[in-house]
Amino acid sequence: MVVSPVLQVCDLQVSFMMQKRAYPVLRELSYNLLPGRILAVVGESGSGKTVHALSLLGLLPPAAHVSRGKILYRDTDLLTMPRARLRDVRGSKISMIFQDPSASLNPVLTVGEQLIETLRAHKPMSKQQAREEAVRLLEKVGIADAPARLSAYPFEFSGGMCQRVMIAMALALSPDILIADEPTTALDVTIQAQILHLIRELQQKEKMAVIFITHNLALASEIADEVLVLYGGLCMEQAPAKDLFEDPHHPYTKGLLASLVSMDRRVERLPAIAGQPPMAGEITKGCPFASRCPQAQEKCRQQLPPLTQQGIRMVRCFEEKTL
Amino acid sequence: MVRYIIRRLLLLPLVILGVTFLLFFLTQRLSPEMRASLYVKDPRQMGALEEVIRQYGLRDNVFKQYGRWLGQVVRGDLGYSPSANMPVAKAIKEYLPATVQLALVTMILVVLFGVWFGVFSAVHKDKWPDTIARFVSVGGFSLPIFVLGLLLLMLFYGKLGWFAPGGYSFQTDLIVHGPSFKMYTGFLLIDALLNGNMRVFMDVLSHLVLPAVTLCIGSFALMVRVMRSSMLEELGKDYVRTARAKGLAEWQVVYKHAGKNAIIPVITLASIQFIRLLGGTVIVETIFDYPGIGRFGVMAAQQLDIAGILGFSLMVAVLFVVGNLVSDILYTAVDPRIRLD
Repeated sequence: MVVSPVLQVCDLQVSFMMQKRAYPVLRELSYNLLPGRILAVVGESGSGKTVHALSLLGLLPPAAHVSRGKILYRDTDLLTMPRARLRDVRGSKISMIFQDPSASLNPVLTVGEQLIETLRAHKPMSKQQAREEAVRLLEKVGIADAPARLSAYPFEFSGGMCQRVMIAMALALSPDILIADEPTTALDVTIQAQILHLIRELQQKEKMAVIFITHNLALASEIADEVLVLYGGLCMEQAPAKDLFEDPHHPYTKGLLASLVSMDRRVERLPAIAGQPPMAGEITKGCPFASRCPQAQEKCRQQLPPLTQQGIRMVRCFEEKTL
Repeated sequence: MVRYIIRRLLLLPLVILGVTFLLFFLTQRLSPEMRASLYVKDPRQMGALEEVIRQYGLRDNVFKQYGRWLGQVVRGDLGYSPSANMPVAKAIKEYLPATVQLALVTMILVVLFGVWFGVFSAVHKDKWPDTIARFVSVGGFSLPIFVLGLLLLMLFYGKLGWFAPGGYSFQTDLIVHGPSFKMYTGFLLIDALLNGNMRVFMDVLSHLVLPAVTLCIGSFALMVRVMRSSMLEELGKDYVRTARAKGLAEWQVVYKHAGKNAIIPVITLASIQFIRLLGGTVIVETIFDYPGIGRFGVMAAQQLDIAGILGFSLMVAVLFVVGNLVSDILYTAVDPRIRLD
C-alpha cells in the first residue's frame, strides 16, 4: 500500500530582500513527509533550517518571502491559500514549537488563557469546556497540579515547563504535523532529554508527523526516521537516519559526524571542519561546501552539483560513493 | 500590596515636608516688607506695614515661621490668599475641579487617539499611514503650546466664533450660581448632568474644546511615538510569532497579544502627563482665560501672594506623590510580573 505524504515541499526557494536585491537563503528544497514519521532537518546557523520552518506556515519575517516552489499540505498549496484558510491550518493541522520557550509565551497572559484561546480559535466551545480541555492538555504533557497552574504566568514556569506548555498548545487540536524548531536548544541537558522523550512519546500516541529542526546531529540520530542535511541553503544529503549515520555519503555529513565527540574515544583536539560556513544569502557559483571540502575538485567550484539519487538516499555531490 | 500602599502613603508627609520647606525657605529670600506689602492695599498707609510684619512674626527665625505655617496646615488652614480674595483652601476647591475636568478630557483624547494611532502606525510601518502618523507626531511635538493655542483661538473664536474662551458663558454663570442649580461635586460637567441641565453641560463642554485640543497636541505626539515604538518592539517578539502560529486572527495578535505588552510604558507616560496637566496647565489656562488652578498659581506668583504660592505647591506635591502611587498600582494590573511588596 502506498501511503500518501501529508506534506510535500517542492523546489522551495526563500529569499531575503536587502537593498532591493533578493538574496536566496534556501534553494531547491524538496521532500515528502509521510504521516507519523519524524524528519530531522539538520544544519548549522545560517543554513536556512529555521527559515524553512517558518516558511511552511507563512510566518517569515517581512523582509523574507518564498520566491519559488510549492508547499502542499494534503494536496493544497499553503503558499497560495487565502489567509483565512491558512489561519485555520495554523495551530490546528500544522502546529509549531520554538527554540526559546520562555520568550515564545506571552508574558502578560496566563498559561491557561493562552491554551484556551488556541482551542477556541479553532473549535467552537464554551469557556468552561475549553478550561477542562486545557487542564487535560497540561496533564498530558506532565505538568503537575494542572488546574491550579492554569492561572499561572509564564514567568512562574521554568524553561522546560514553558516548553511543555508550548507542546500542550501545539498538540491541543491533534495536528497532523508538528514543526519543532530547535525545541531543546535553550534547555539544560537533562531537561532536553525529558522534552525529547515527551515529543517522541506524544508523536507515537497521536500518530502525527514531526519536522524536527536542529543543529545537533546526535539529537537528530536519536529521534528521527529520516534526516535531511542543509548547508548554505541547499540540501546536501537526505537519507533514512540509520543509513546516514552509519554510512554518510556527502563529505559535509562525514565531516559533521567526525566532529561528534564520543565518550569512548579520547582526543587531543576536538575535530572540526576547517573553514567557515557561507553567510546566509551568499551565493557561490559552485557547491557551497567546495571551499571546505577535502575532496573538492575544480568542477565543484564551477558548477553546482545536482541532488542525485544514490540507492535509498539523495546526495548533492559529484563524487559518487564507490562501494 | 495593601502594605505597600500604606508604606508609600506614610512616606507622603516626608516628601511634602521636604517640598514645602524648600519653597518656604525660598520665599524667605524676599524681605519681610515685600511679603507683607500685599496685605496693605493703600500706599498712604505704609505705617501699617510694620504692624503686619509684627503681627505675623515675619522677622522671626525661618524655622519658627515654617513651624507656625505647618501647624496651621495640619489643622487644615492654608492661609488667606489676597490674590484670589479668598482662603487658599477655598480657592483650590473652587479652581481645581475645572482643571481636573480639563486634564481628564485631554487625557482621554490623548490616550484613545494616541494609542490607536500608535498601533496603526506600527502595524503599517513605513507605509503611508505610518508616514502621516510620524509627520503629525513630529509636527505636534515641535509646535509650541502658546503658538498653537493662540492660532486655534484666532481661528475658532476670532474668525469662526465657535468656541469662546473662559470656563463657561455668562448665562451659564447665572444658572450655575443661581438658586435652582445644585453643586454636588464641583465638577461642572458632572453637576450639569446630575441637574439634568444639558444647556450647561454643552456650554461647559464647548469651552473645554480649545484648551483640551491645545493641550492634546503635544502629549498626543509623545504618546503616538511611545506607543508606536513600543508596539514595533513587541510585534518583533517571539510570542507574537507563536500567536500567529496558533492560528489566531490578526486583530487578536495585534491587540490582545502585542497590545497588552506595548501599553505598559504608555501607562507610566500617561500618568505622568496627567499629573503634570493637573498642576501645570498654566500657559493654556492663561491663553484661554480658563478658570483653573494653573491660573490661580500664576496669579499668586505674580503678586507675591506667599500663602497662595505655598498652598498651590503643596497641592501639586500631594498630587504628584499620590499620582505616582496610582500609576504604580496600575502597573500591577497590566503586568503580572510586577508585584508590589
